[in-house]
Amino acid sequence: MTVPLYHVLILAATLFSLGLACVVAWRANVIMMLIGIEIMLNAVMLTFVGGSAQWGIADGQLFALMLMALTSAEVSLALAMVVYLHRRKRSVNTDDFDSMNG
Amino acid sequence: MTFDFPILTLLILLPLCGSLLTLACRRSDLAARRVALFFALAELAVCAWICLASLPAAPAGAPAGFFLFEDAAWIERFGIRYTLGMDGVSLIMVFLTAFISAIAAVVSWKGITERIPLYFALLLALEAGIQGVFLSLDLFLFYLFWEAMLIPMFFLIGIWGHGRRIYSAVKFFLYTFFGSLLMLVAIISLYLMHGAQSGSYTFALGQLIHTSVPYGIGLWLYAAFLFAFAIKFPLFPLHTWLPDAHTDAPTAGSVILASLLLKTGAYALIRFGYPLFPEAARAFTPLLYVSAVIGISYGAWVAFAQEDMKRLVAYSSVSHMGFVALGIAAWSPVALSGALLQMVNHGVTTGALFALVGMLDERTHSRELATYGGVWGKAPVLAFFFLLFCMASAGVPGLNNFVGEFLVLVGTFRVSPAAAAGAFLGIVLTLVYTVRLVQEILFGKEKKPLALADLTLREGGILAVLAVVDVYLGVHPGPLLELMKTPIALLTGGK
Amino acid sequence: MKIYLSLMLLFPLFGAAISSLFGRKLPRRLVETIACAAVWGSFVCAFLAACTYRAPEKVTLGDWLSAFDLLAPLSLYLDPLSLSLAVMIGFVCGLIHVYSVFYMAKELDYARFFALLNLFVFAMLTLILAENLPLLYLGWEGVGFCSYLLIGFWYTDKRNADAGRKAFITTRVGDTALVIAVAWLFQLTGSLSITQLNGMAFLLPGGVITGIGLLLLVGAMGKSAQVPLMVWLPDAMAGPTPVSAMIHAATMVTAGVYLLARMFPLIGGSATVTAAVAVTGGVTAFYGASCALAQRDLKRVLAFSTISQIGYMMLGVGAGAITAATFHLLVHAFFKALLFLGAGCVISAMHHEQDIFKMGGLRRTLPLTFWCYLAGAACLAGLPFTGGFFSKDSILAALWLKGGGLYRGLYLLALLTALLTAFYSFRMVYLVFCGENGRPHVHAELKAMQWVLIPLALLGLFGGLLNLPDYLGGGFLNGFFARLSGGAAAEASHLEELALQGVASVLALAGLLAAHLRYGGKARAQRLKESALSSSALTMFLLNGWYFDRLYHAILIRPYQALSGVLWRRMDEGVIDDSLDRLAAGLGASGSWLGGWTTGRISVYIFSFAAGGALILGYLAWLTL
Repeated sequence: MTVPLYHVLILAATLFSLGLACVVAWRANVIMMLIGIEIMLNAVMLTFVGGSAQWGIADGQLFALMLMALTSAEVSLALAMVVYLHRRKRSVNTDDFDSMNG
Repeated sequence: MTFDFPILTLLILLPLCGSLLTLACRRSDLAARRVALFFALAELAVCAWICLASLPAAPAGAPAGFFLFEDAAWIERFGIRYTLGMDGVSLIMVFLTAFISAIAAVVSWKGITERIPLYFALLLALEAGIQGVFLSLDLFLFYLFWEAMLIPMFFLIGIWGHGRRIYSAVKFFLYTFFGSLLMLVAIISLYLMHGAQSGSYTFALGQLIHTSVPYGIGLWLYAAFLFAFAIKFPLFPLHTWLPDAHTDAPTAGSVILASLLLKTGAYALIRFGYPLFPEAARAFTPLLYVSAVIGISYGAWVAFAQEDMKRLVAYSSVSHMGFVALGIAAWSPVALSGALLQMVNHGVTTGALFALVGMLDERTHSRELATYGGVWGKAPVLAFFFLLFCMASAGVPGLNNFVGEFLVLVGTFRVSPAAAAGAFLGIVLTLVYTVRLVQEILFGKEKKPLALADLTLREGGILAVLAVVDVYLGVHPGPLLELMKTPIALLTGGK
Repeated sequence: MKIYLSLMLLFPLFGAAISSLFGRKLPRRLVETIACAAVWGSFVCAFLAACTYRAPEKVTLGDWLSAFDLLAPLSLYLDPLSLSLAVMIGFVCGLIHVYSVFYMAKELDYARFFALLNLFVFAMLTLILAENLPLLYLGWEGVGFCSYLLIGFWYTDKRNADAGRKAFITTRVGDTALVIAVAWLFQLTGSLSITQLNGMAFLLPGGVITGIGLLLLVGAMGKSAQVPLMVWLPDAMAGPTPVSAMIHAATMVTAGVYLLARMFPLIGGSATVTAAVAVTGGVTAFYGASCALAQRDLKRVLAFSTISQIGYMMLGVGAGAITAATFHLLVHAFFKALLFLGAGCVISAMHHEQDIFKMGGLRRTLPLTFWCYLAGAACLAGLPFTGGFFSKDSILAALWLKGGGLYRGLYLLALLTALLTAFYSFRMVYLVFCGENGRPHVHAELKAMQWVLIPLALLGLFGGLLNLPDYLGGGFLNGFFARLSGGAAAEASHLEELALQGVASVLALAGLLAAHLRYGGKARAQRLKESALSSSALTMFLLNGWYFDRLYHAILIRPYQALSGVLWRRMDEGVIDDSLDRLAAGLGASGSWLGGWTTGRISVYIFSFAAGGALILGYLAWLTL
């Protein structure tokens, strides 16, 4: 028995919402925001994989693989920046980095 | 003789190339000046050649009345073509542009001391833009040049201006830009309407004329066009950018602003506004009359109160351009001839007055009327020219402005006596402020000792050339009237 | 004929061009010679044209304005009216140029002076000879322009410059009426040619002709200093005296009369217009004479008398007697130029003192000036058998013969004015030349200047020969002008004419007698004493020209100045500009208010992003459900 697509979608949506909530709510720490972003990306990956399984086309899995590569690159860059910012401001609270205001 | 050389493109490219070359003269300011002057004069020479050469009456594919025509596909997907054309009216305006630009280059020979290459490059770029406006027959191309004119002028005022130059430059830019955006909307609407009707999407003036626009929508579209042109004109009550821009612009900037930029509004109204929306234009005529008549008297009246010479001349422009608007509103052959003549005359006379004010300013660093007095005794040659141009501006017959004003008044009176009657008041009021200007500056006693040297050879040369043109147009406007006869007859459907 | 006419105009034009362009580089003598030669050359051409004149002739010299059906070429029209005026202008202006050479001998800016004088002659001749109205207007404005600069010739004194400005602007008011008339005529007939328009009178409805006639009258009022636009002329005396003689006595100020005479075939058909012209003339004649009674400045006496005399000419035109009006115009040009030039000699001898109560005794010290001046005053007063007598009488006779209550009333007013004229003329003569208290400074130039007076005095005295009454054999002008419309005046019987002339001469002599009693002999000293005391209200009223200046200042000039400031500060900057500035400021403020959203905090951005995404999703869901 295969898992119906909409179960996967519901799971993905829940994951995405959790990730978004994490990003929006936990802004005291950049690391936590990055984790939230990771969770959202994973939700997207899950959607891709679910779609791929549903229609039997490999494109979705391909995209999922690409997203993995992309995520690792993004996280490494982001963490490097976090370290840099922490050195400059001694803080990981995102609200402290507001010099780009309009 | 078939004539294949793209001379109209040359007219636009020549100043543009000059502009780039001038910019390249980073090392030597003198070289920059010379290159700029050379290209300005070359442009003038090309114009003179067009006047003298016997061109075939109607090149292939040209609309009636056009003796030079270039047409090439440009962005075919959107039906945008590179269409340039020259008829008598364009030739007059193009000639005026080349002439005034050359004058402006000489005027700013000494007065500009910073970033000289950039200054002259912008001056030539401006010339290219204006020439483009006077030559385009494709609405998209026209809009492009129309906006392109703004940019060099904006920097000319903003960088080399005086006083509140940033404020004035931004004001000038916003005013005109706001108007032209509305015009762009109207152009695109017209484009879509024409495309929906005929199936061919095009910006060509010659085809858009045949669009059948519902009356109600035509009113709105024409209003958008008129608004853009009225700001450039400037018509009362959209004129308040003008005194500020003039006052704070460098001398050559004021000259070009008054002599050329204001004319683009009037020219565009004649070339695009009326032919595209004849019915709507007729519906708006009373409004144009009222605005013109108020502008004539109001400009003159407010000019009388001014303390700053440049502002005074700027307000006089509002008054003089009111006559142009009046002649266009009347849209009769005689009145329209008068309006076109008045455009040229105002360009020459007011340009000269701005140049003179600039010369006085360079000497004494004051534009306040109150500081001057008794200039006649100190600088008789300067005073002579000052008086001459003031009298021309006041419409003394024998000098150029009279010819235009007279034709406008007589031609308008024929069509609408009531509108003309209001404008007659302007004859008196114009004299009142002009005589005040003469009085305060030339006559009386010296109020405080001013270091007033008489004209240098360069300045005298500029003014002498302008004065000769003034007198020539005043006593022999025949050639100009002859040139504009065919286009005007075609435009008005007149005899 | 074409060569005469074009040279007549070109000589002074070239003279003006040379003097204005190179005058400061050329030696003084040369500039003076060129200026005089130009005008005399012009006179010779006019004279030759007169000799070869056969019939009215239209000459086209070139093209000026031609736009579609509007045609205004450079075309001239020579007929008895323009010819006689051209000869007079050439001669009088020529004499005045010669006079100016001596009068302005100490002036440093001679080039400007002579350039303007020559330019004036050119413009005046253009005005006279023009065949179409725009060309006439060119001359019309040209003379106004020269007058403006010549009145303010000594521009360093603000009063002179102001007087010039006043003249220019006041006459411009009239000029505007003229332009409206031109535009109207063009609208009605499509023609601007004077000869054509004059031939079209019968085509136009009466009401329109009345309207056009009244507009032309307003135009004439400005130029010819008629009530209510006469305020500029007394002030115009601020200019050098030769200028006053030439422009503000002999030539330019009569242009209005010329205009009405020229257009008379067109406008004469309307009784309203002729009556309005006559009333204007009558009122002005009386106004000028009454003001002249009280003036203390010699030149202002003459200025008011000019206003008054032009009023007479207007009366003549109003009575339909073009010949009489032109006759008076010609004779007046001679004797008024004479009086002004004489006044110039007097003023020059009196160290530029112009108050007649401070002069005296010049009868012995400047005998030549005295006799010439006396001749001029006699003409002005209309003493029997002088030129002024005949010309003024022909106008009076025309008024009488026209009949009707209005014209009879105007006749009586004109008679009263004649009495006043005789009185103030000799008041002036007695005060200036009799008595003892003058110590004139007779210099070399003055001696030369006096000689110029003689031909003018002769012309003034014997000007009557131009047009003798019928009982003395008939006049030359009557015959010459007979073919002009309105030229042939109503014929009076010899007896009637003699009676009218009798009345006029009695009045003139009565005026002379009154002046003698009040200002002659011993009474003169008494008057001088009185003059030092404060004047009565009536004297002040007359001295200030019925306070018209103050009236205009209060109701026109002050409100205009005040309103111009209000329009600028309150309207232009206050309302239009301010509202736009506020709009711009409002837009800017709303922009920065919205810009406040860009806090730079990532959390706000993410939240906005999420909210936006939720909104879009919600919208899509709402669309599909």
